[in-house]
Amino acid sequence: MKKKNNFLGDIAGLIELLPERKRRIERASPGPIGDDPINELARSLHPQKIYFEIAEVRDETPTIRTFKLVAAPDSGTTALPVFRAGQYLAFREEVQGVVVTRPYSISSSPREALEDGFMEITVRKIPKGFLTKHIWKNWKPGSKITSSGPAGFFYHEPLRDTNHILGIAGGCGFTPFRSMIKDAIDNDLDLSITLLFGIRTPDEVIFKKELAKYKRKMGKKLKVTYVCSEPDGSWKGPSGFITKDVIKKQGGGVKGKTLFICGPPAMYRFLENELAEFKIPQKRIRREVFGEIDDITAFDEFPRGLKRKKFNIKVHIGSEVEEIQAKATETVLVAMERAGLAPQSKCRSGECGFCDSLLLDGEIFVSPENDGRRMAGVKFNHFHPCASYPVTDLEIIVNRSV
Amino acid sequence: MAGRRKAILDPSYEAVVVGAGNGGLGAALQLALKGVKTLLLEQHNVPGGFATSFVRGRFEFDASLHELADVGSADNAGSLRVFLDEAGTDIDWVAIPEAYRVILTDENLNVRVPFGIEELIDTIESEVPGSRKAMTKYMELCKDVNGALGILGGIADSAKPDRMISDFMSFVRDSDNPIEEIASIVRKLMNLLRVISKTVDQVSDEYKLPDRARAILYPYWCYLGLPMSRLSFTSWGAMLISYMTKGAYVPRMRSQELTMAMESRIRELGGRIEYNTRVEEILVERGKVTGVRTSQGDEIRTSQIIANVSPTLVYNDLISPKTEVPKIALKNVNARKHASSCIVVYMGLDTTLDELGLTDYGYFISKNMDTDEIYDSTYVLDVPIMQATTCLNNVIPDCSPPGTSIVSITTLFSMDSWSDVTPKDYFKVKNRIANGLIDQLENGTGANIRDHIEEIEVATPATFARYTRSYKGVVYGYELDPWDGVIARVVTKEDEKYIKGLEIGGGFSFMGHGYNVSLLSGRAAALSTLKEMGVKS
Ligand SMILES: Cc1cc2nc3c(=O)[nH]c(=O)nc-3n(C[C@H](O)[C@H](O)[C@H](O)COP(=O)(O)OP(=O)(O)OC[C@H]3O[C@@H](n4cnc5c(N)ncnc54)[C@H](O)[C@@H]3O)c2cc1C
Ligand code: FES
Repeated sequence: MKKKNNFLGDIAGLIELLPERKRRIERASPGPIGDDPINELARSLHPQKIYFEIAEVRDETPTIRTFKLVAAPDSGTTALPVFRAGQYLAFREEVQGVVVTRPYSISSSPREALEDGFMEITVRKIPKGFLTKHIWKNWKPGSKITSSGPAGFFYHEPLRDTNHILGIAGGCGFTPFRSMIKDAIDNDLDLSITLLFGIRTPDEVIFKKELAKYKRKMGKKLKVTYVCSEPDGSWKGPSGFITKDVIKKQGGGVKGKTLFICGPPAMYRFLENELAEFKIPQKRIRREVFGEIDDITAFDEFPRGLKRKKFNIKVHIGSEVEEIQAKATETVLVAMERAGLAPQSKCRSGECGFCDSLLLDGEIFVSPENDGRRMAGVKFNHFHPCASYPVTDLEIIVNRSV
Repeated sequence: MAGRRKAILDPSYEAVVVGAGNGGLGAALQLALKGVKTLLLEQHNVPGGFATSFVRGRFEFDASLHELADVGSADNAGSLRVFLDEAGTDIDWVAIPEAYRVILTDENLNVRVPFGIEELIDTIESEVPGSRKAMTKYMELCKDVNGALGILGGIADSAKPDRMISDFMSFVRDSDNPIEEIASIVRKLMNLLRVISKTVDQVSDEYKLPDRARAILYPYWCYLGLPMSRLSFTSWGAMLISYMTKGAYVPRMRSQELTMAMESRIRELGGRIEYNTRVEEILVERGKVTGVRTSQGDEIRTSQIIANVSPTLVYNDLISPKTEVPKIALKNVNARKHASSCIVVYMGLDTTLDELGLTDYGYFISKNMDTDEIYDSTYVLDVPIMQATTCLNNVIPDCSPPGTSIVSITTLFSMDSWSDVTPKDYFKVKNRIANGLIDQLENGTGANIRDHIEEIEVATPATFARYTRSYKGVVYGYELDPWDGVIARVVTKEDEKYIKGLEIGGGFSFMGHGYNVSLLSGRAAALSTLKEMGVKS
């Protein structure tokens, strides 16, 4: 090595390259590099974690609550990030000694985060829900909670989408649209929003009052219709599910619009049929991910005879090895959470790759609707535990969480 | 944390590699091949750094790769392919059929440039009659420079860099070698010496290359990122020859296949890789590395570290305690100038390239080929005047579902012009520039892109900073002026090593930036480490 460098050094020195380099280095300052506005921008756009304090809790209905969240400077968040209307936050909570995450769409507007210093999420209580039960009991004004940075791709993108959104929402799927409407008003966007919101019973109508206010501001550019599947005598709006006829009549058809669909998987499957006749190009339909599939055995592709099976998973984290038990019908992610391993996740839908892990041995079933793996990931046995179910005993490597 | 202690790592390793980009992976692979107990630490949760991919809807986009130099075909293998094959990685390489199409809208120029030196000269001759003689001489010079570099350090042509010089010495000493070959080697060296401190423009002037010939020849400049009035000719000549003689390749499954193939092989060989683990301190005592401290709270002892991190960050942020950083190291990194970052517009289209009339893989589209003007335009927060665009289905027809295609636009972008963008304006600014780039592509090619965008994502310097934490989102390492060109860096490599046991690999190291050189410089760093450890090669 030495010889080579001397030899090269001789010839390069001959021609003044090295003296110039030397001069430049000697002349340079020995001071520190100073700040890095680009990394700062990246951090403020995409904080790894947001530490919140709950400022206010509002009951929208007996089972739906809006939480107003502000930055918790003592915990490390001084300002809230901007985001794109429609994105979600993944909250990380400790419940009964185990750590789980759950994604919730931000229901407030980007401007409110930036200028008014708050974000809102609107949460529906799930019967027998693991986290939501805990939320109802523990999330009070003053509580401290933690989420990921804003994530997800369910937002209007002017480079891609038409300037008329036809939103179809079910379950708690209204929340991202609330953010989109507020954003359109705040920024006076060239954007029309027609929204069909499927509810089960009339008491699930939410945001009625504020919608009237938004309507006054947006005029013809906003139209919201609630469609009730189990109406009572007092219900005056359209009833049933969101069918092609509702889409034509209340939704005004699909022409020139970009569909944004957010709701439970059953609604997606139902809509598939209803939308067929419109022959909408794929680029005009955006679907929000829906989290873990509640009943994976309902899929034809799911291997038969596994329903009651349990498997062992050998999990490597750092230099440690844990043996855990997993049900065939639960995702590998849930099995790890149950076992208290606190793995990281965000979308819980196979999409974001945040839970990416490595399969060393055994076989998994990957939910076909939630398979967001990279091609090379499949080739080299990377997998997303949030969208994968054990089919045999497994051995896996999981990242320590950030 | 919730009722649970943090999973810990072994307390000591023979070598620690910081960062799993191309450089870190190349380094860890080389170390693992030699059975060194190696720990590779990466702050992100997948390998690759810039060399990664992401999925949106039905599409999987490459985050950065246009094409890889130095792969070559199986029977004309470049040093990168040789290394990766010998290391036992499993990568499906796909050849790119032609070098590029250059479209200059103000110059009425639209030319497809094939691979092959003869073919290049022919193409330019047919566009610029009378250029053959000058071009032939020019390419001879490039060949000599490339050959000389290969001989002197295995930088461009050799898979065994550390052995080249001694091979050369014994070659010359060996009386059986024909005098013509020795003469040819001497000629190459003389030619290298003649141009070693020159810029590309100086040499092109000297060879009287017509302007229009330069316009056709120069587009690859944007892979090096410095205007031809400043770019070191040797770096340029070597790159040009590498592309022209070995062609260009991409892995079938985006660059993530390359980086996951290395990851997989490193693990098979017993190397350990930890993601979500950012090295926060490189511990140094009396001028020697002793270990690292991480964001996960690990403290790991080692006497050998290879940093796939820019020296700027190593000396400013990582080395601890700060008193161990010699003043000269800070002067060194301050003297050098950070190169460009990029803006990329990734698009999944719901139509085929055929229907769009996009016949080529690589398009270089600009108003003209005045590289100073183009370079300056990347220092303004606006649409730069040149773009490099790839149409992946023209190389891998089934890279996206039938009836769709993937088109990515890249432009160099100085990170300084991005410095004043506020979070509030961020999305607006990036969409404005993306819009301009799409216009530019449509104007240049006549393709109707806008009506077919099914997925679109725009990456800016902030995006690159987010995923790699590179200083200011820099993609291209340090600028390759002659005084900081590859030769100058190679020659000073040993003298400018300020901490014992610390090597630098990757796009900020001595070979310059780009996939192949970043990877191989990581490997070269590992070879130095092995030597230091006394492991036989
Ligand atoms: C992108 C996105 C946005 C969303 N936005 C909203 C929104 O704005 N508003 C809204 O209301 N909803 C939203 N949701 C849905 C919301 O995330 C779910 O309704 C919520 O996660 C349900 O939580 P739960 O724990 O109460 O329900 P559960 O059904 O109990 O939680 C799911 C899993 O918890 C597991 N589990 C049970 N016991 C344990 C245990 N002991 N340890 C560990 N795991 C256990 C179960 O096996 C089950 O698989 C969104 C979903 C997604 C994907
Ligand atoms: S948490 Fe998003 S892919 Fe698993």
